[in-house]
Amino acid sequence: MLAAAVLAGVLLIVVLATGWAGSGNGGVTTVDGNASAVVYAAGHRPLAPGFTATTLTGSKLSFSSYRGKVVVLNFWGSWCVPCREEASTLAAVAAKYRPPGVSFLGVDVRDTTASALAFMHSFHVTYPSVSDQSSAITLDFTAKVPIAGTPTTLVIDRTGHIAGAVFGTVTYSDLTAILAKVG
Amino acid sequence: MTDVRAPETDPFDPAAERDDQPRPGSSSPGGTFGLADWLKWAWRQLTSMRIALILLFLLALASVPGSMLPQQGSNPASVQQYYVSHPALAPWLNRLGLFNVFAAPWFAAIYLLLFASLVGCVVPRTFRLAGSARTLPPRAPRHLARLPRSAEYTIALPPGDAVEVAARVLSGRGFRLRRPDDADLAQDWVSAEKGYLREAGNLLFHLALLGVLVSVALGGLFGYKADRLLVQGQSFADTVSALDEFHPGRFVTAADLGPFTMTLNRFDASYISSGQQRGQPSAFDARVTYTEQPGGPARTFDLDVNRPLSVDGAKVYLIGHGYAPEFTVTDARGHVVYNQPTPFVAGTSGNFLSEGVVKVPDAQPEQLGFTGVFVPTAVNVGGTLESVFPAADNPVVSLIAYAGNLGMDSGVPQSVYQLDTGAMHRLTTSPQVLQRGQSLKLPDGRGTITFTGYVPWVSLAITHDPGQLPALICGIAALGGLLLSFMIRRRRVFVRARVGPSTGIGTTVQVGGLARTDASGGFEAEFAELAARLRSAHEQAASAQPSQSAQPPPPAQPGRPAQQQAAQHRHEGE
Repeated sequence: MLAAAVLAGVLLIVVLATGWAGSGNGGVTTVDGNASAVVYAAGHRPLAPGFTATTLTGSKLSFSSYRGKVVVLNFWGSWCVPCREEASTLAAVAAKYRPPGVSFLGVDVRDTTASALAFMHSFHVTYPSVSDQSSAITLDFTAKVPIAGTPTTLVIDRTGHIAGAVFGTVTYSDLTAILAKVG
Repeated sequence: MTDVRAPETDPFDPAAERDDQPRPGSSSPGGTFGLADWLKWAWRQLTSMRIALILLFLLALASVPGSMLPQQGSNPASVQQYYVSHPALAPWLNRLGLFNVFAAPWFAAIYLLLFASLVGCVVPRTFRLAGSARTLPPRAPRHLARLPRSAEYTIALPPGDAVEVAARVLSGRGFRLRRPDDADLAQDWVSAEKGYLREAGNLLFHLALLGVLVSVALGGLFGYKADRLLVQGQSFADTVSALDEFHPGRFVTAADLGPFTMTLNRFDASYISSGQQRGQPSAFDARVTYTEQPGGPARTFDLDVNRPLSVDGAKVYLIGHGYAPEFTVTDARGHVVYNQPTPFVAGTSGNFLSEGVVKVPDAQPEQLGFTGVFVPTAVNVGGTLESVFPAADNPVVSLIAYAGNLGMDSGVPQSVYQLDTGAMHRLTTSPQVLQRGQSLKLPDGRGTITFTGYVPWVSLAITHDPGQLPALICGIAALGGLLLSFMIRRRRVFVRARVGPSTGIGTTVQVGGLARTDASGGFEAEFAELAARLRSAHEQAASAQPSQSAQPPPPAQPGRPAQQQAAQHRHEGE
């Protein structure tokens, strides 16, 4: 009985100690309450890495040409089920935010041109995507924000800093909420 | 199980283990049970064998939900599915950490307590062993003839000289000596003990055991394991989203992965082409190009099964390979909707007869799916295709085509190696066999699929285990310590000399010996040899002696008190 009480006490202390170790995050507010959609406060925004890549239609694209605009950067793949789920949401948000000057750019991860173009055709995606077959662009961005899988959507502010992120499937309300805070 | 304050007790004597009932210690006069006593008692509880076993059992029990519920780390898709099918229960399970059991605080609590319990058991035991390795031999018993081994003879030397000669012989044999101290100077005896390395071995074993625990913890906390399938000609970057599987340690985040990129330039597998071992692999060679960081210099390396690549602190192992047939699919509109090598996985039937699926989710008007078999060296045996050799000498594929809903547009992520045909219908009645370059025309103008060729793929395991080398070193040390403690006997020899047999005539020398642990035997012979050696040394000394008068003999170092000599011998004995 005594042993159980002492053991429970020690257990509680250890649990609290290990629990504390995981908390603590500065400058990040969640949009949806479960930390998969976040906004980084000004001053806590990591600088997005630059890249030059080939689009799925074969032209060169330099990410620095987007400087001065708010950019929604979506990491996707035609093989990825949640990407297919969120595709029409992204297309709808892109259509709504194009007039105020928000640009959309896709990063097509671990995919082939034929499948990716067929995907864009199926979901009426009109904004461009660059090919990231080797995940090299993803690697550069992972050094700034914890991208743990596909899809991931980043919102880049006018100064080229990462201002918000959705880890996982995008919902209309999450993305528009982030854009409202960054826009 | 542990008691630091009792260095005199034999560490291997079960009677030395204290009971673990609470009782007033010396720090609490008046019998009250204070905080210090509580803490002491709790510590004794924690480090007892009973609690260690309970914790071990709890650890096993706590792992059970990890295998019964889907886990975020290894199978996030199933976790999402669980959320969908149990919307009320899932958030509660998540709050209890049951979807990430091995990283849950309560799981950490159990293994940290177990670790503390083991450390608390091993460390005091280590101190006790260290103390026992430094102790002097006991005083010589009065009746040496009662010891398991004994000998007695008479010589013409004064008792003091006889003991001195015996001490010299024993010391020369590497025994640690003890001589009478001030209180019993009147007696002439020497105690000798040998085999302290046994205790040193034991000590080494315990310390190494602790080292193994720490190493395993290091590996578990700071290491990671990952897998990636890489098709020839393709590249990948070591980042979580580009890995097929990622199992990080407790303190590992995605940012801890080394930022290397790797391209599989070429993979060759050679097979024995004749004889009994026909079809057995003779050599593998995966030529890769890698850069340690983005923008760094590109290097090449030949990966082999037992030749991993070390990069960014991780090791990349070649753990498997297979064939990826290349397909091109056009849909009803004539659009190319699929054009890529598709990894097929070898089944159990041998000779790399491999299975795989092709999913074409963006074909119009309906999604297309194919289940296929790749046969590297095909032979038609009575209407069924068999592979007779693992190399791709006559590659063919056999396909069954489906159309309908692949289930990829909603719901849970699915395996790339499985086709859910629940919402699809078969387009071909029998499997269609294609040679390289041949096409299958799908019915109703749905398009075509062409088997354009094949490339090999390799599967890579990327591991980082900072505890691996320390664990190996500690394991070897533990084995060495165990061998030392098994093979070395601890044995004691006593020599007593007294005037006699009758007053004034000669000296009776008694030699007694016992081995404290004589599992391997052999002490009997050693004692007989030693007794003979002592006797001959005594006889030599006696014949060198001019007379039998009781003159003080020339000691080894004249004028030094016996105790000081004993101290010196003790030093030599160590």
